[in-house]
Amino acid sequence: MSHQAHTVAVRATGVDMFFGTPENRVVALKQADFEARRGELIMLVGPSGCGKTTLLSVIAGTLTPQAGTVEVFGQRLDGLGQEALTTFRRQNLGFVFQSFNLIPTLTVVENVMVPLLIQGRPFDEAHARALAILDKVGLKGREEGRPNALSGGQQQRVAIARALVHEPPLLICDEPTSALDKDTGAQIMQMVRDLSRSPERCVVVVTHDHRIFRFADRIAEMEDGRISRVVDDPKLLDTTHL
Amino acid sequence: MYRLALNMLFGDRAKLAMLLCGLAFSALLMAQQSSVFFGIMSWTYTPMVNIRAQVWVSDPMVEQVNDAKPLRDTDLGRVRSVDGVAWAAPLHTSFVQARMQDGNFKLITLVGIDADTFAGAPAVLTQGRIEDLRLPDTVIVDEWGAALMGRMGVGPDGKPKNTPLKVGDTFEINDIQARIVGICKVKRAFTGGPFVYTTYDRAKGYTLGARRTLSFMLVEPQKGVTPAELCDRIERATGLKAWTSDTVIWSWGERSLARNTFWWFWTNTGIPFSFGTAVLLGLFVGIAISGQTFYSFVLENLKYFAAIKAMGAGMGVIARMLFVQAFTAGLIGFGLGAGMAQAIGRVMIEKGMPPFVMFPQILWATFALVLGISFVSAVIGIIKVSRVDAASVFRG
Repeated sequence: MSHQAHTVAVRATGVDMFFGTPENRVVALKQADFEARRGELIMLVGPSGCGKTTLLSVIAGTLTPQAGTVEVFGQRLDGLGQEALTTFRRQNLGFVFQSFNLIPTLTVVENVMVPLLIQGRPFDEAHARALAILDKVGLKGREEGRPNALSGGQQQRVAIARALVHEPPLLICDEPTSALDKDTGAQIMQMVRDLSRSPERCVVVVTHDHRIFRFADRIAEMEDGRISRVVDDPKLLDTTHL
Repeated sequence: MYRLALNMLFGDRAKLAMLLCGLAFSALLMAQQSSVFFGIMSWTYTPMVNIRAQVWVSDPMVEQVNDAKPLRDTDLGRVRSVDGVAWAAPLHTSFVQARMQDGNFKLITLVGIDADTFAGAPAVLTQGRIEDLRLPDTVIVDEWGAALMGRMGVGPDGKPKNTPLKVGDTFEINDIQARIVGICKVKRAFTGGPFVYTTYDRAKGYTLGARRTLSFMLVEPQKGVTPAELCDRIERATGLKAWTSDTVIWSWGERSLARNTFWWFWTNTGIPFSFGTAVLLGLFVGIAISGQTFYSFVLENLKYFAAIKAMGAGMGVIARMLFVQAFTAGLIGFGLGAGMAQAIGRVMIEKGMPPFVMFPQILWATFALVLGISFVSAVIGIIKVSRVDAASVFRG
């Protein structure tokens, strides 16, 4: 196995994805190639409708592409059935959503416990691990409160805690700062970056927010359903169209 | 996950309250209406309860206890001669008009019992003595009947006041005087008329013109002979119909006169249809309110269920979460509804109207139906969640 194979966390090759009927087809991804490495935070950027979210869904195993191959930490996803994909997501993925998706009727700690309970971990173990990670993200003392009682930044911290509590190798972040102000967004991204710094982890962030580009190791720009270029320095990107 | 599922349910208090209201109302309607129905139906075989005997013998064409087809007096001797009979006593029952002292008429159930043995006499007398029935022109009236046949007057406060009949009061049956020597406690009858007890021979006198007055024979088996066994022997020997006094209407024994009476009213009257409609209404209201509320609960939580799906929860886990939520709500709703039905029933039983009999089977059936409502609600929710694409969580 080559050195490159060891360092690749996510590889999508020649991915096609379209929606609608054959007569009324909307092409979301067209021969899209994407690669993310272990230990890096890569951002997917591009104008609305370019296919970022679709590519993210394909990588996350919530959408199955019509063509192409998808490999995440050595596991081919394109041939897996729904049950296997569900199991794969349960073991390997953490999610941070744009609108947090914290369950308002549960407490903060209960929200964080969800991925562990889905994995079938005992309640007490899940509770202890959730408390520990909430401490890490600076929410000690807020565990028993409801998410709605927290600020937007605090809610996103809870979401990050929930995404990382089961220590998934791949962290998927969908517009994690879009509902936050500049400073809070920066704090959140710093936290994501710090918590994800591990050779066995990879973070893929979809964003429109050019203010957080500086936290990326690399930035992949999308256009018309494919990756148009990948840059190491955000300054090289023309962000006027984003 | 089930603990979290319950916390999700209890965390939304407004929805939970609405859900519980629907389920409790449904359980209340089903349990209360069924209990009143069975209460009314239990009145149909009241004579079996009030006139106690192990075996009843009737004309072969008799279908139920309120439909007496008179027998010949000589039939009594034939029954007494059957092997296994300890004793047999005559019984007269009929509906006759009684004329009150104020000129009013009331329909009564006249019960003529054997003056020697008093077989079939009421179990509880609140006033008087049973032996006084041997005095001329005497009757015993039931407590409720005494009030119904009482005198209307004006009380000290100027309001209308009913003075119940008491020992010593008189009325007339077919122009023959009936003097009250006792007041008894008996169960009320479906026909609504008071029970008036007298001796068998005097009952003959009160029903002038009736050629035959023997309605039933009350029979006691000898030791070691079961009522069912004796029924067989009597039928074989006399060609008459013999019944057991078993009042458990759920049993399938064809020998029970009470059971046959119950099912006769079930098939020949509109009572089951009427109450059945109310019970169905309760069921549909439950499904409509609870189904709708639970569906709206699921809709409100749909994006969270989608997120849980994206995080790797299979539909099996989510379906079980929804079942736990729906069945928990069903359990609480049933408890509230059945509790309210019991409380209402207690008041009804104290007042005596309308009749109320809550068999354990009613509670079990109501419980099953409420769980059915919960099941339907959960399935509606599961269908909705199963159609949600996990990828939808990325669409904002």
